[in-house]
Amino acid sequence: MQSLLKSSARVPSTLLRAFSTTKPLLLSSTRKVTSQAHAEPLSSVNASEIAHFSRLSSQWWDERGEFALLHRMNPPRVQFIRDKILEFKREEATARGEDSIDEGKGVLKGWGALDVGCGGGLLSESLARLGARTLAIDASESNINIASLHSSADPHLASTLAYRCIAAEDLLAGDSPKKQYDVVCSMEVLEHVDNPSAFLRTLGELVKPGGHLFLSTIARTPLAHLLTITMAEDVLRFVTSGTHHYSKFINPEELIDFFRSDLRWFSGEPTRKEAEVRGIIYLPWRSEWVVPPRGTPGVTSCNYLFWARKPLEGRLQ
Amino acid sequence: MLAARRVPINPSRLARALVLRTEVWRRFATGVDQPTADSSTRDYDIVIVGGGPAGLALASALASYRPIRESLSIALIEAGDLSNVRKWAPEADKYSNRVSSITNASREFLSDIGVWSHVRDERTTPVEDMKVWDGLSDARIEFSPSDLGLLMHNPNASYEMARMTENINLQHALLKRLDERPEVHIMDKVKVDSIEQENAAGGWPVVGADGFNSPVKSFAKTPSYGWAYDTHAIVATLFHSAPSPLLPHRNTTASQRFLPTGPIAFLPLSPTISSVVWSTRPSLAAALKAAHPDVVAQMINAAFRLPDVSMRYLHSIILEAQAAGTPLTAERVNEEIAWRERSHAIDSQSPLSSSDRAGAVGIPPVGSEEYPPLVTGIQPGTIASFPIRLSHAESYIGEGAGARTALVGDAAHTIHPLAGQGLNMGLADVQVLAETINKTVLQGGDVGSYTSLLPYARDRYFENHKLLSITDKLHKLYSLTNAPSVWARSVGLEVVNELDSLKGGVASRASGSRSGAGWSGAAATGLESVIGGVETVKAVASGVGGVVGAATMNLLRQAANSK
Repeated sequence: MQSLLKSSARVPSTLLRAFSTTKPLLLSSTRKVTSQAHAEPLSSVNASEIAHFSRLSSQWWDERGEFALLHRMNPPRVQFIRDKILEFKREEATARGEDSIDEGKGVLKGWGALDVGCGGGLLSESLARLGARTLAIDASESNINIASLHSSADPHLASTLAYRCIAAEDLLAGDSPKKQYDVVCSMEVLEHVDNPSAFLRTLGELVKPGGHLFLSTIARTPLAHLLTITMAEDVLRFVTSGTHHYSKFINPEELIDFFRSDLRWFSGEPTRKEAEVRGIIYLPWRSEWVVPPRGTPGVTSCNYLFWARKPLEGRLQ
Repeated sequence: MLAARRVPINPSRLARALVLRTEVWRRFATGVDQPTADSSTRDYDIVIVGGGPAGLALASALASYRPIRESLSIALIEAGDLSNVRKWAPEADKYSNRVSSITNASREFLSDIGVWSHVRDERTTPVEDMKVWDGLSDARIEFSPSDLGLLMHNPNASYEMARMTENINLQHALLKRLDERPEVHIMDKVKVDSIEQENAAGGWPVVGADGFNSPVKSFAKTPSYGWAYDTHAIVATLFHSAPSPLLPHRNTTASQRFLPTGPIAFLPLSPTISSVVWSTRPSLAAALKAAHPDVVAQMINAAFRLPDVSMRYLHSIILEAQAAGTPLTAERVNEEIAWRERSHAIDSQSPLSSSDRAGAVGIPPVGSEEYPPLVTGIQPGTIASFPIRLSHAESYIGEGAGARTALVGDAAHTIHPLAGQGLNMGLADVQVLAETINKTVLQGGDVGSYTSLLPYARDRYFENHKLLSITDKLHKLYSLTNAPSVWARSVGLEVVNELDSLKGGVASRASGSRSGAGWSGAAATGLESVIGGVETVKAVASGVGGVVGAATMNLLRQAANSK
């Protein structure tokens, strides 16, 4: 969620190596994101972003306040996760020669899920209710406190949802043996991190081979600027000014390209079994976010959802 | 000694800051609060307050969804004793005076959630024709499937527009259905004493299906707007001969006459039993309730037949007699009606005559099918009355201190009975709320949160508002007695009635479209485009939509679906 990863804690040198790359990463022609290879400690966390969301943390669960739009975004993005997972389960069931699968509530039952940048825990609670053993992390201590407090009210969540104040990089480095998750989600986080390529590599590492990665973020287009900054922050003041920075927005093609050429999760144009981008748009007259049907033109030029499946072999050769 | 069990819904033991569940415990009448250790002390994910049709239907609907059943615990609290409803074993020729017209959409929903199969079908009657006319001008509108040309399109289409059902028959069916669903914990004879919440940010989903004086609504401090009409409705169960000797088993026409004092409706229950809902001035309602049942029967016959001027005269003599403490006898009323008939040149062979013919056998007069059958008696103990009011909660979802509450049915809205839509609106609320909650469960959401309940309010609020205002306007329009208004509304009604092409056009357009949106859209556009123009006439047309429209649209949808 709109929160952040972690304060600039010292990153162990082993990690540094893991993240280093000799070739600079092109996320787009206008925005060169180099993985800051050998210089300073590598962290995707931006301290001022952390401070920003810590200040707002008490408002996470005010459904009519600062985060109202985010609350309303949660149902369709969970639906997206659910649909995507069911699509896979159906396929696997067909491959096994079974007729049908249980499409009931526990679509993530028996799975491990990681929510990176969980904020107040809007998505984390949903993942846990869908049956996943969920770990939710955030770099802001106050976010984690609010999130834990809120989830403690629902006894259903006690055994399935855990929170930790830790950066994704540290989580990856700290777990030995390396812990990986069936589903990794990082919703509305990418546009707040300092070093998106390093961040994405970390997320990629945290996904089990054959597992699923879900992201949502904002495209860097004039329309997105108009809607998410000019309108939402400056004119209508739905969201505190300074929440978004245009230069940090990332376009869907850039994401696809990164997963193709850097992480090598697929080659060429990804099929629907490899990666997918879906627009998500807000309809003010219905107070509702919708995910328009596949192929609707123009809908990915503002907020969008991204899904990719890590190949069973980890990365393509 | 366990006298009245009172239950404070108090989440405080769980709620340090945020609560999702409710703890319900018993409080003994001795005044000492003591949570008991018996099995009723437990947490629930959803608490429904109110065991009327809406509350019971919500419990059944929620339990009909497997994801909800498997993940949420549901309790229903009812202040009254439900055992009478459970044990309901009616005599074949006796009917309750509280009846509802269940639209086809409502019945479909009740079938889907496994309830309709428990309804005692032989005690329900299909409405296959509707006749509505103006008390001052006699302008008429009639709707029946054959008028609409539906049978040509679809020979298998049912004639049925709605189903008259005793409320207790439905409630009994709902309880039987819930007996098959042990997931829902029903607690009756339990009064909600207080609802407490420690922290506005948390709480537990409580659904108020607890009627107009809803405790949940007061807890949530949800304001309502609305007003009491200067009108009470009299209800009674009526005995009469079969409407037609040729079709002795057929009594399937609902009739409604708009008198300036309010509409009177005749609703079929069996071949020889019907129900009346007569909306009229409170003083007159009180006088009628106090009068001898035979007097009431004669007044009902007159109210469907005599010109308004004579009805006003009958009203005045019944009020005078009431005030003088010398209630009218049936003989006296019969004489008065006979005298009024003679003065209007209504002879005993006219279908408008009721003074001589009550109980008469043989071929009924020509044109008598335009009027309901003559009432010959009233089932003892069934004359009752209640005030009519319009109210609409400003919001269906509680906010602030009242967060995590939702209102359905009469707790959310009360409506004039003239359109027979009250229960149907409540059932539609329940259907949408249950769908909304199921979707939330599938999406891993928190069922009591404002965000997850929002789609329910969004889908239902405006729909209910439309029906409430149409019905309200219709009531007011037909209270007018000045000539231009009467002329305008009568022209409106007659125009719609004569335009078979309009009715047919609506029907054929509807049969071509398969989606739910299609038929209502087509019907609405059809009515509006033809009648639009003169504002008053348009008002009448939209009113017609209210009374007859709901049933007609059902019919059209049925045609569309069965094609």
